[in-house]
Amino acid sequence: MNAAPDPNERTAELTAAWTERFGTEITTGETFGGLAVGVPPEHWVAALAFARDELSCGFFDWLTGVDELEDGFAVVVHVYSLERRHHLLVRTRVPRAEPVLPTATGVYRGAAWHERETFEMFGVRFEGHPHLVPLLLPDGFEGNPLRKEFVLAARVAKPWPGAKEPGESGHGAPSRRRVRPPGVPEEGTWGPARRPPVPENPDA
Amino acid sequence: MPCVSTIDLPPPSVGPVSRLAPKPIKFVLNWGRRYSLWVFNFGLACCAIEFIATSMSRHDFIRLGVIPFAPGPRQADLMVVSGTVSDKMAPAVRRLYEQMPEPKYVISFGACSNCGGPYWDSYCVTKGVDQIIPVDVYVPGCPPRPEALLHGIVHLQEKIAGESLGERYDGGEPMSPPPAPRPLSATVLRRPIQPAPEPAPEPAPEPMSEAASAPGPVAEPEAETRPLPPVREPVREEPVREERPSPPDDAGPPLDHDPSIIPGLTDHGHDDEIGRDR
Repeated sequence: MNAAPDPNERTAELTAAWTERFGTEITTGETFGGLAVGVPPEHWVAALAFARDELSCGFFDWLTGVDELEDGFAVVVHVYSLERRHHLLVRTRVPRAEPVLPTATGVYRGAAWHERETFEMFGVRFEGHPHLVPLLLPDGFEGNPLRKEFVLAARVAKPWPGAKEPGESGHGAPSRRRVRPPGVPEEGTWGPARRPPVPENPDA
Repeated sequence: MPCVSTIDLPPPSVGPVSRLAPKPIKFVLNWGRRYSLWVFNFGLACCAIEFIATSMSRHDFIRLGVIPFAPGPRQADLMVVSGTVSDKMAPAVRRLYEQMPEPKYVISFGACSNCGGPYWDSYCVTKGVDQIIPVDVYVPGCPPRPEALLHGIVHLQEKIAGESLGERYDGGEPMSPPPAPRPLSATVLRRPIQPAPEPAPEPAPEPMSEAASAPGPVAEPEAETRPLPPVREPVREEPVREERPSPPDDAGPPLDHDPSIIPGLTDHGHDDEIGRDR
């Protein structure tokens, strides 16, 4: 096995390369296992091409989105260099009102399905994508399920069949605060069973 | 028009003769049916691993007459839905269930296929496979042990032994109702056996035109599935694998292998095989 260089040293090298190429328009930071680079959306494709051509990151691992609420949606790409064995995380952020990003399929062909999935899950549109249609969701599905405003309404239609929390079964310990998974609305705040004092409802 | 046959055959039924059969014959029929359950594993998630474990030598449900070698749903008697049924997969489950011949039985294996399980709040998980097909036996657990599946199979066999197919299919409460008729375009199931001749001047039959005008993903070119030109590569002869070179005589066992974990393999002068001293 080749003698791997010091990870800190390599991260410093990568940081220097990015700074030399893009100047102060990017942010760099260390994450677990490598360097994370934040680029503005207008340099998105150029940054990926730079990572592929100059930093030899030829292995496209994945692309996904992150819902960061009022900060917009982050789009994250993880690439890896098989030759030099370094990871790289390239991030950008698009506004929530108009989540549009140029496609990365021109740089990494394998990003096509990942962008389709990010499109259906977060609603981020990738301009220039050759075939931007939903990938995994069933036909006729409405909404973007991985957005934090997406309401998981299964319990509104049908209550949870089990008695999992103390007090829910009608006997035993008194009820404590019920733990709900993220995205599940409180009882009576959503759907047809909504009570008159309505809190601010996310436009789902 | 020799190409397309549009005759709808009546669904094969087993009811009337079985109802008229005397009781010993019913017993024999049920006895034969309960111990030759050709099973079709609808493995959708991690529960399928437990199903496979049940079919392997340690638990071995072939000794119960459950045979996991059905070539497909059309030759199977029992379908075991093991795993998370998603809304996208649900039509396929329903369709393969409809392809199974009567009498057919369904075991729902695991919490996900019973009721959705831990994915109750999910946006894409069906709340139980019994929303789309009738289920005979539910096996709870997440995932259930193989013994639980064995118990479910025995339970199903008891149910088969006590049932009367005449009552099952003629009145009473049908356990598996016949599927509702639904319109199918002619190209889905009834394909022409021979290639169609040249386009005749007469208008095409109705289902064909309907199928042709139906929008589908086939019409749009899928970017990822563009056909590639075939690449001719010289067929490389796979070298005949030599016999494994025998290790040199002085080589001991591999260092990471501790022979003392196997009882009886080593003799350290202890009193019993696993190294205890009395």
